[in-house]
Amino acid sequence: MNRKNFLSEYGALIALVLLFAINVARRGGNFLQVENLRNLVSQNAAVGIIAIGMTLVIIAGGIDLSVGSLTAMCGAAAILLVNKLASGGMDANLVILLAALGAVVIGAAAGMINGVVIAYGRVAAFVVTLAGLAGFRSIALVLGNGGEIRSQVPALQDFGFGGVPIPFVKDAGGGPVLFYWSACIFIAIALVAGFVLNRTRFGRYVIAVGANPRAAEFSAINVQTIRLAVYTILGGLVGLASVLVGARMNSVGTGSVGLYYELDAIAAVVIGGTSLRGGKGRIWGTVVGVLLLTLISNMITAERIDTNWQGLVRGIVILVAVLIQRGRKSDE
Amino acid sequence: MHLVPKLEVQNIVMEFPAMRALDGVSIAFEPGEVHGVVGENGAGKSTLMKILGGILQATEGTIVLDGAPTTLTGVRDALKHGIAMIHQELNLVDELTVAENVFLGREITKAKLLDRAKMVEETETYLQLVHAAFPATTKVGNLSIAGKQLVEIAKAVAVNASVLIMDEPTAVLSEPEADSLFELVAKLKERGTTVLYISHRLAEVCAICDRITVLRDGVKIETLDAEGANPAKIADLMVGRPLTDFYPPKTLAPEGSPLFEVDNFNGVGFAVRPGEIVGLAGLVGAGRTELAEAIFGARPVTGGEVKLSGKSCRISSPKQAMRHGIAYVSEDRKGLGLHLSLSVVHNITLANLRGYGNIVLNHKRELDAAQNWKKDLDIRAGDLEDAAFNVSGGNQQKVAIAKWLDTKPKVLILDEPTRGVDVGAKREIYNLIQSLAKQGMACIVISSELPEIIGLCHRALVMREGRLVGELSESALTEEGVMRLAAGVEAA
Repeated sequence: MNRKNFLSEYGALIALVLLFAINVARRGGNFLQVENLRNLVSQNAAVGIIAIGMTLVIIAGGIDLSVGSLTAMCGAAAILLVNKLASGGMDANLVILLAALGAVVIGAAAGMINGVVIAYGRVAAFVVTLAGLAGFRSIALVLGNGGEIRSQVPALQDFGFGGVPIPFVKDAGGGPVLFYWSACIFIAIALVAGFVLNRTRFGRYVIAVGANPRAAEFSAINVQTIRLAVYTILGGLVGLASVLVGARMNSVGTGSVGLYYELDAIAAVVIGGTSLRGGKGRIWGTVVGVLLLTLISNMITAERIDTNWQGLVRGIVILVAVLIQRGRKSDE
Repeated sequence: MHLVPKLEVQNIVMEFPAMRALDGVSIAFEPGEVHGVVGENGAGKSTLMKILGGILQATEGTIVLDGAPTTLTGVRDALKHGIAMIHQELNLVDELTVAENVFLGREITKAKLLDRAKMVEETETYLQLVHAAFPATTKVGNLSIAGKQLVEIAKAVAVNASVLIMDEPTAVLSEPEADSLFELVAKLKERGTTVLYISHRLAEVCAICDRITVLRDGVKIETLDAEGANPAKIADLMVGRPLTDFYPPKTLAPEGSPLFEVDNFNGVGFAVRPGEIVGLAGLVGAGRTELAEAIFGARPVTGGEVKLSGKSCRISSPKQAMRHGIAYVSEDRKGLGLHLSLSVVHNITLANLRGYGNIVLNHKRELDAAQNWKKDLDIRAGDLEDAAFNVSGGNQQKVAIAKWLDTKPKVLILDEPTRGVDVGAKREIYNLIQSLAKQGMACIVISSELPEIIGLCHRALVMREGRLVGELSESALTEEGVMRLAAGVEAA
């Protein structure tokens, strides 16, 4: 592997390690505190889960701009469901489980609508999901009367701040430090998605459809089914992510939740080395992309830089990532 | 020769990461000669042409143009030096008109605006020169492949190219179209143009070239005068061993009831017995590929039915065709037949992927299967995990065939199975088709190469303008007979 190839293959990972090292050098022990590292993983777990679904969609040759709005819609529905079920006197944990399931189903159904129009209606994914971006947000606003929907079940937020105790680590007060559920779910989904992409028949079909849809059809693959499936999976993951967001805040602001998630998710996918042209990509790259974006925004805060600059820094990171990876095609 | 060569390559070496594609090749191309460059796939001829066309830069060696050492830094630079290349895959913009394509990148302007009238006018003169029967305002997307090729040649004439490189120009042409191309080559030669002509069709190379250079494994074997050369001799030089009979001896045409029938299917009806090889002949555009794709479920069907062993079956997608045991190896290897960015293994197992795991794939079994096909079909690919992109044309074709054989088909439709394939691999493919037929497969071979239809098939069906216009049994199978039906000329 020559130098250029190496850089395009592992560029995002190298950047992550580099930024990590800079943070260690500048903030030392504070940065390396277990709580801080845990936050790094869990902070953007919701976007991360969505980005993993987005990776599949992009590898299959598609795109989904509706995920941010869909987060708000599913989140709003989930909180309403929580309140409704709890008012009937149901056990709080069961309420949360059912509401989460509901959000996943609603998300998957919305994703399926996107998929049906794209795959069978033969409308460009960009246009269909742009309509979703407008439409799902509107439904969310209707559900919340244009404002915030608060959960009346405290257990929801307990879940949002709950998790698995990290062994041997105590916080300042001597209590256990929890590895949040959101981060656990993020990691679990990344592992499953990586397995699905690389080791299953479905994953191979996703790659084949993205690489050359006509040739995939001529290889006895049902191209439209695969397209429909990736959008549905992404929708379901958005539903799941929306519950994590809602649990954390114990509410969903229907006008603000999920704003720019589509951009963050697509950015993470691209930074991670998945080609927007489809047919090629990797889940671990997307995870690195999410962590990289999180680390950058944390650094901007820690270094007391005006946060208005954040967007510009992200924009530059995305461009640099794409420019580095562009070399890969010609090297083959 | 005592003249200064028009173009000369000296000790050209080209290294790729995994291999040395050219190993010290020197050739002199004289002004106004038609120089054939032949060799098996992977012999290095495409690489050499890409270096001359400015697409690749040689690792070592010199290019001498009109006696002066020259470096070609890119396609534009090569064009500036008067070297134009016509690719196998034509590089035209379908959405633009002929004139717009001819002047693409060097538009004529008047007061900063496009001077459309002037460009159309000039293009018309070039089109006349190449005997094109369409106006300069035609959209290129509406032209046949032969027409597009004429546009490419007109483009080269327009930039006044003194060296024209043609990579497999006749691979996509029917015989009359090819004939008019040969006339055009002769005319370019009269104008003093040096033509570098790459082709797998040795008979035509012998017929139209002045001299022929044979490459093998990145080394020049010999440059010989075309006079006195014959295809058999060149083929021997190419493979380095004498090729005995090109087509395997035919087996007896099988008797019995048909395995595969189409009945009034899109207006066409025929039947194929198990073990039979049936040729589907016709001119380019006669509707053979369209028919095959419709049988395969990749195109809408207007009527009629497909029967397997007498039973009618509904096929509306390639997936259903595959389940019924019908395989189709497309003529468009790069666009439809293979996934070039996927590895050779993944290509081979793709159509039969369910056989390697319903949910989780067994990679070891996939690899074993690919290894077996590699051995059985003699697929020359260094690493089966390499992208299919890196494999040469003939071997890509074998991969495409292996992919469909892996589905264990009963009916195998091969569309131009030897297009862009070198002689050695061609022969192997013929042998393969015959041994598959012997095992009881019903084989349908679509081919624009008449000798192939005649040498390989038990009988031939001829199509014209979407309809079946005749059938020739083995005893009646001659080039003239097929051509007459294909072109619609009444029997004399």
